[in-house]
Amino acid sequence: METLVKLSFYCFAASSVSLAASAVSYIAFSVGRVRVRQATMATSTGSTVTTSRAEYFPGPAVAGRFGSMLAGFGAFFALLAVLFRGIAAERVPLSNMFEFSLTFTLAISVMYLIFERAYGTRQLGAIVVSIAFLMTVYIWMLPTNLREVDPLIPALQARPIMTAHVSSAIFAYATFAVSFAAGALFLVRKKWNARWLPSLEMLDDIGFRAVTIGFPLLSLVLILGSIWAHDAWGVYWSWDPKETSALFTWLVYAVYLHTRTLRGWRGSRSAWILMFGFAAVLFTYYGNYFFGGLHAYGGVN
Amino acid sequence: MTNATAQLSPSRSPMEMAIDRVWRYFCSVRAAIAEIAFLALLVLIGTLRGSSVPESLANGVPFLRPLVDRWYAWDVFRSPVFAAVLALLAIAIAVCTVNRVPGIWQTINHPRIRTSHGYLNGADTSATFNTNSTTDELAGSYEATLREKRFRVLTERIGTDTHVYADKNRYARMGTFPFHLALILLLVGGIVGAQYGFREREFILPVGDTRAVGHGTDLSIELVRFQDSYTPLGTAEEFESEIIIYDGGEQVRRETISPNDPVSYRTATVYQTSLGHGSNMRVTDDTGVELYNGTVDVGLFNFAGNPDSPAGYVEIPAAGVTMTVVAPDIEPFNAPELDTLQLKNGQMYVMLQPLAGSDAGPQEFVIDQGQSIPAGGLTVSFDREVQWSLLQVAYNPGIPIFAIASFLLIGGLAVTFYFPLRRIRAVIAPGPQGATLTAVPLAKRDWSGKREFFQTVAALESGLGVTPRVKKPAGSEDWEHVPATPSAPSSTG
Ligand code: HEM
Repeated sequence: METLVKLSFYCFAASSVSLAASAVSYIAFSVGRVRVRQATMATSTGSTVTTSRAEYFPGPAVAGRFGSMLAGFGAFFALLAVLFRGIAAERVPLSNMFEFSLTFTLAISVMYLIFERAYGTRQLGAIVVSIAFLMTVYIWMLPTNLREVDPLIPALQARPIMTAHVSSAIFAYATFAVSFAAGALFLVRKKWNARWLPSLEMLDDIGFRAVTIGFPLLSLVLILGSIWAHDAWGVYWSWDPKETSALFTWLVYAVYLHTRTLRGWRGSRSAWILMFGFAAVLFTYYGNYFFGGLHAYGGVN
Repeated sequence: MTNATAQLSPSRSPMEMAIDRVWRYFCSVRAAIAEIAFLALLVLIGTLRGSSVPESLANGVPFLRPLVDRWYAWDVFRSPVFAAVLALLAIAIAVCTVNRVPGIWQTINHPRIRTSHGYLNGADTSATFNTNSTTDELAGSYEATLREKRFRVLTERIGTDTHVYADKNRYARMGTFPFHLALILLLVGGIVGAQYGFREREFILPVGDTRAVGHGTDLSIELVRFQDSYTPLGTAEEFESEIIIYDGGEQVRRETISPNDPVSYRTATVYQTSLGHGSNMRVTDDTGVELYNGTVDVGLFNFAGNPDSPAGYVEIPAAGVTMTVVAPDIEPFNAPELDTLQLKNGQMYVMLQPLAGSDAGPQEFVIDQGQSIPAGGLTVSFDREVQWSLLQVAYNPGIPIFAIASFLLIGGLAVTFYFPLRRIRAVIAPGPQGATLTAVPLAKRDWSGKREFFQTVAALESGLGVTPRVKKPAGSEDWEHVPATPSAPSSTG
């Protein structure tokens, strides 16, 4: 068991290195290249005028492909890390902030790669894979005792409902990270007319599609969470801050889904709501740092 | 949202106009957004109240202190404002649903098939095939392609033109109704649960005893067996109770429960929360008439004279006394110097205090198991020690409503999101060499819808062997590098 836990940690380390390299490659690819063309023209008076015109190109395609490959490695090693730890602990590794964040790293890189394939666009990676990488940085900074495999406190003892509840949360947050990236690129492309980025329509669609996965998952998180709370504490809903911050996030995305049906709001304003929604996700994720209450376990509070 | 009701006629009374206004307010998505956003704001305020955020705010900006104090004092989730916003949303959803269902039902079942040429020419996305086949042949191929892509196809001939309307996943349009109604049901479930449900926090059950749950239910619970194990320090480590639930006297469940592993019967759930001990005590008078025979639960109270010992008491009006029973202090880590009673295992300390109105003093004695001790005209017997279980019973008739709402919510969302409505309008008309087909997707600002449209166009292209003339909105170059499109139609304008 000791060996497996160690092996899992090495895989996590490999994953975080791959994701770092992948993020750098994606950023190099997405920032694009600018070439300034100078044209010298003779005027009728005999003098010459030099005009310069900036042209924008997509970044080096090699960097993009490299990014994808490395993101694949990152996801693969994260998968191994989760698997080994799962085998060692004999449960899905979701019980403390270390395990939760490790599985989140896996979810976010897998979710990103799915969107990359579906849309055939790599620029989102600059943001999503960077988030995955920052997640690994956070994991490195967690207290090292969380790296050990501990028995669970009774209220958390592995139950299918709890596993489903937490995994839904992880995948919901991962898809919201994708929609955040789409919203951010939308705003960048719009503001600076960054023509080498995917079209506004496509970015808007990616943001929306990601929410159409994340929103039902978040609904499931709330439902499964309340079933689990009922089994553990005897109440479905106790207005605990961790519950209500998830509810808040859910409502923000409900606002987003409605604004998209309003003509004037589709576009930048909806993209801003995606930014805000992801801030709410982070707030819910790291809520343990601010909240007391029933959910204050998992190694950090 | 289109509004089906707003046909203002000048002859309307002010009352009608007002109702119309309110109705239209509730139908408006704009108002719904404002309401949801306001609800979100309240939830955020309530959430932060449970955190240290306001506190650090007040520490940073002292003049915010009074505001922050009020913030902590305000129980948002139980406030009338919160309830009002929920009610407003529920009404809006109901009104909005009633308003929209007929129109959507109409477009599902009787869509307009005819498309004007102006509409076709004005669309920002379209594909035009110039073929040398007849209009009938072209209509046939087009229809076959659409059906292969699982579209429903409706045609109408007007003069020499054939109008074709095709759609897919039309019934999924209705998915938003169960979803939105589920939101109302969740509120209803919450209200029903709060109104008709209860949560019994302390429900003591000695081994061998049966007690009625009460609260208007016909349920009773019997504790058959209790088992506990202790850590070396003497704190309970694991415990489980085997219980039987009776409904109207009939046994309906027999199960072993432990903390975290409750048993449910219908909408009642029984939890094991704690454990304790009790003494079976009997009190008789001089003539041998039994005045009390039952279990005094010890452990819920502490005896003032001996703070660490588990104690309990019972009022016995027939005997005119309150009987307090104190059990030995067996917790090894309690301070021994506080244990003034020094009871041994199997012993109980008993104190009889006259009920109010008598001026007799209390009587105290230590009693062994199986012993009977006369005291002031009464005889107190200590038959045996029993264990009891502290159960909690939650009864929530809102559960079936929640269950239905959850299914509608997730199901409705899945249908709405994963079976999106796709529509294509087309006109087939005689053209320069034969017949011309112009097709337009009804997918304004819908990238995925347009992509699917171009996949259909590509399929038609390979079927007909004709390259279409394609119109795309500006800035949509990325259809080209989408791998899912087999051979993306290129612009040959
Ligand atoms: C907390 C309350 C609400 C939540 C969480 C909510 C959630 C949603 C969601 C997730 C969608 C997306 C479905 C889609 O994109 O097709 C949606 C659509 C919609 N909602 Fe709501 N909603 C709420 C309240 C309301 C209210 C009060 C109204 C009525 C005024 C309303 C009217 C609509 C309409 C018209 C659509 C578009 C449906 C369609 O495109 O077919 N919603 N809502």
